[in-house]
Amino acid sequence: MPQTLEKIETTPEERFLTAFHAADGTTLNGSNSRLHTLRKEAIERFEALGFPQRKAEAYKYTNIQQVLKRNYTLQLAPRETSVTADDIAPFLVPDLDAHVLVLVNGRFNEALSSIGELPDGAIVTGFADAARTHPDLVDAHFGQYADHENDAFIALNTAFTQDGAFVYVPKSTVLDKPVHIVSVVSAEDDLMLQPRYLFIAEENAQATIIQTGRAITDTHTFTNAVVESYAGRNAHLDHYEIQDEGPKSAIHLSTQGYQHEQSVVRTNAFTFSGEIVRNNLCMLPDGAHCESHLYGLVLGRGDMHVDNHTVVDHAAPDCYSSELYKHLVDDDATAVFNGRVLVRQDSQRINAYQSNDSLLLSEDADIYSKPELEIYADDVECSHGATTGTLDKEAIFYLQSRGLSYAEARALLLVAFARDVLDHVKVEPLEALLDTYVTARFGPQA
Amino acid sequence: MSTTQTEYLQDVADADYEHGWTTDIEADTADPGLTEDTVRMISAKKEEPEWLLEWRLKAFRYFKKIMEDSSQYPEWAHLKYVQPNLQEISYYSAPKRKARYDSLDEVDDELLETFERLGIPLQEQKQLAGVAVDAVMDSVSVATTFKEELKEAGVIFCSISEAARDYPELVRKYMGSVIPYTDNYFASLNSCVFSDGSFVYVPKGVRCPMELSTYFRINEQNTGQFERTLIIAEDDAYVSYLEGCTAPQRDESQLHAAVVELVAHDNAEIKYSTIQNWYPGSKEGEGGIYNFVTKRGLCKGDDSKISWTQLETGSSITWKYPSVILKGDRSVGEFYSVAFTKGHQQADTGTKMTHIGDDTKSTIISKGISGGRSNNSYRGLVRVNKNAKNARNFSQCDSMLLGDRCGAHTFPYIEIDNPTAQVEHEATTSKVGDDQLFYCHQRGLNEEEAIKMIVNGFCKEILAKLPMEFAVEARELLAIELEGSVG
Repeated sequence: MPQTLEKIETTPEERFLTAFHAADGTTLNGSNSRLHTLRKEAIERFEALGFPQRKAEAYKYTNIQQVLKRNYTLQLAPRETSVTADDIAPFLVPDLDAHVLVLVNGRFNEALSSIGELPDGAIVTGFADAARTHPDLVDAHFGQYADHENDAFIALNTAFTQDGAFVYVPKSTVLDKPVHIVSVVSAEDDLMLQPRYLFIAEENAQATIIQTGRAITDTHTFTNAVVESYAGRNAHLDHYEIQDEGPKSAIHLSTQGYQHEQSVVRTNAFTFSGEIVRNNLCMLPDGAHCESHLYGLVLGRGDMHVDNHTVVDHAAPDCYSSELYKHLVDDDATAVFNGRVLVRQDSQRINAYQSNDSLLLSEDADIYSKPELEIYADDVECSHGATTGTLDKEAIFYLQSRGLSYAEARALLLVAFARDVLDHVKVEPLEALLDTYVTARFGPQA
Repeated sequence: MSTTQTEYLQDVADADYEHGWTTDIEADTADPGLTEDTVRMISAKKEEPEWLLEWRLKAFRYFKKIMEDSSQYPEWAHLKYVQPNLQEISYYSAPKRKARYDSLDEVDDELLETFERLGIPLQEQKQLAGVAVDAVMDSVSVATTFKEELKEAGVIFCSISEAARDYPELVRKYMGSVIPYTDNYFASLNSCVFSDGSFVYVPKGVRCPMELSTYFRINEQNTGQFERTLIIAEDDAYVSYLEGCTAPQRDESQLHAAVVELVAHDNAEIKYSTIQNWYPGSKEGEGGIYNFVTKRGLCKGDDSKISWTQLETGSSITWKYPSVILKGDRSVGEFYSVAFTKGHQQADTGTKMTHIGDDTKSTIISKGISGGRSNNSYRGLVRVNKNAKNARNFSQCDSMLLGDRCGAHTFPYIEIDNPTAQVEHEATTSKVGDDQLFYCHQRGLNEEEAIKMIVNGFCKEILAKLPMEFAVEARELLAIELEGSVG
């Protein structure tokens, strides 16, 4: 009877727990013993926490349950893939000389990757491979920064961690070329992916990491990704995340960055498509004189729902942080921004700035913005600003008075609005690509 | 930071409450506890009409459910305190000698002295043109002046229990229309046990001839005070209402859960100003008033305007969000606030602006100053509904920190569903600048004078919004608060 069926229908949590217990010790075992211990801890925490409910303040504007309830398959064992180099080619950045690492359905694919030559001691490889070949490095950092104790998504990812990407730059080493991690989804069924990323830049090291995600097939996917990044003393780490997996992909990305003194970390998040995209980005400058820069650009259209939650947790004095997130929201799309700046007690002489600007381009677009300041030290300069509105009529009029058509004037202003974020992209070929994309989207022909 | 400044700010943070003493008046106090009988007793004591008792009971039946369900208690605010035990509170207290007074002469001398020590110009009011006072000592309205003059203008200004008897059709129509008894935990509680409060009705086209003012005092030990204020401005009417408070020193925490409802019809304007200086608790953070207030105004008619101005310096815990629902086209909502916390005080205060009508405007200016070990949070919501065309909002929240053990926080929520909205929010947090202090020193001002001047300048914008009499008092209050025991 249908009623009984409804009653025995399992929750998403139960499905994961069942899958874990079935696969534990076999496919989820692996050779790394620390990973094995963490997995057990994490699944227990996940069971206790459960996915955030609609009433949870942090998920107030994002109904993540809606996409979680789909019956995704969990590919716990690697599968043969038909993805070829030709499939990957369009996803590469033109003119970009990079160490390219390809993930197919969250798994490192060595044949498709072209990592090339690396400086002495540097490592760019799949996460599973790193756990096997460099257990000391993985053990020292894995699970140290992302909080699997209190975050259900991180706990779940930790429990199911199998593969992903691993980048290690040893002391006083500079990676001249960026690392480009291309994630490709190719599936016949609705698929759940849980890739794990670990990026380590030791003292005085420098690295640039670009992550792009694209789907080749047209199934629903849910990607629950976790990125842990570590910047040693005086290290420089630039991170670019370009989310464009298509309208059927749901993404929950948790990024936790740890910074030692004098380190400089820049993160850039670009979201161009997705059914529901939720990014939790947390930076922890834990030593004096750190710099943290957070940039984000969301181009919303269709039914997209993009939710960026950022936290800059100033645990040490004399640091600087700046944040700029911009939204261009069209059609039925929704953009959510929650930026939190926390200055802990005795973290004196902090300068923290945050700005969130949104343009609503249609009747049905929605914006929810919540910039937060939480300050427990007095010798600080912290500020945030948030604006929401539509294009300035006077600016359009001015441009029209100079001979531009309405469409041209509008396009010029929209592209200029987005360029404020693009200007912070330090990798030229990438900036050019993104600029082309934005111009094509909003330019006069669009 | 120089030692002198540190010492000075320490003194400020340690300063004792100036208005801490109790008036010894016999009072008629109900046994602690909240049951249906309590609600019936309060209603009976107030000689309330049947419909009002029914209303209270309906609220009580609802509240009973949420009282027993701990998940209903509002825990989202950035506050740390022990939840008050509602069964330990006495819900009714009235001066015993007489339930009502016809003139000032009948009022207890001791009571009048209380007001004088607080600096309430009750007696002088008669000579001082422009201010009518409805003094509330605990729960019963003690004296009302200027009634005659207001009557001539057609303005009704009386206690809410009087209004329920004399103008039942008005009270029935508007009470709970802006804040229903299901609104939130404390509004529900208030709806069952509200003791007294003010009622103002300004008829069509009338500009209220004077500033209306009520001073609230919590006096009897262990009695929470649950006022309920209702202000209605008909078409083209104008009224300015002043509320000011001080309370004597107590060891036990006292719960205060008031409800204030404002209704502005077409082209009407209501200006509501508050100075709140209740007992903030001892130096160790013991005692003090829990101030959990629900205040909301409804701009019901087109071109209406509601303006909240507040100076919050007292209470150990403040949980207060005076809000405006901008329903009428071209309606305007304003919120100006200065919140000063020191010692172990905690404040979570702000506003909610809900834009519903077309071409609505709202302005939010909030200044928070925290010292000692206090925590001061701004929490505000600007919501533009789907059909609210051309809504405009400007919000500014500035925080000043006067020590390294206090906290200043900003939690603005911005929800925009209409593309024609133009919403701006900005917030800053900093301490008194060393360069500012240096400049003042250079001009011959000492630390204390300099800090007073800088803080005063920081708040000036808001204090200037208060009516004349209040502005002076407010500046004084802020100066006294800062002064502490500095010799």
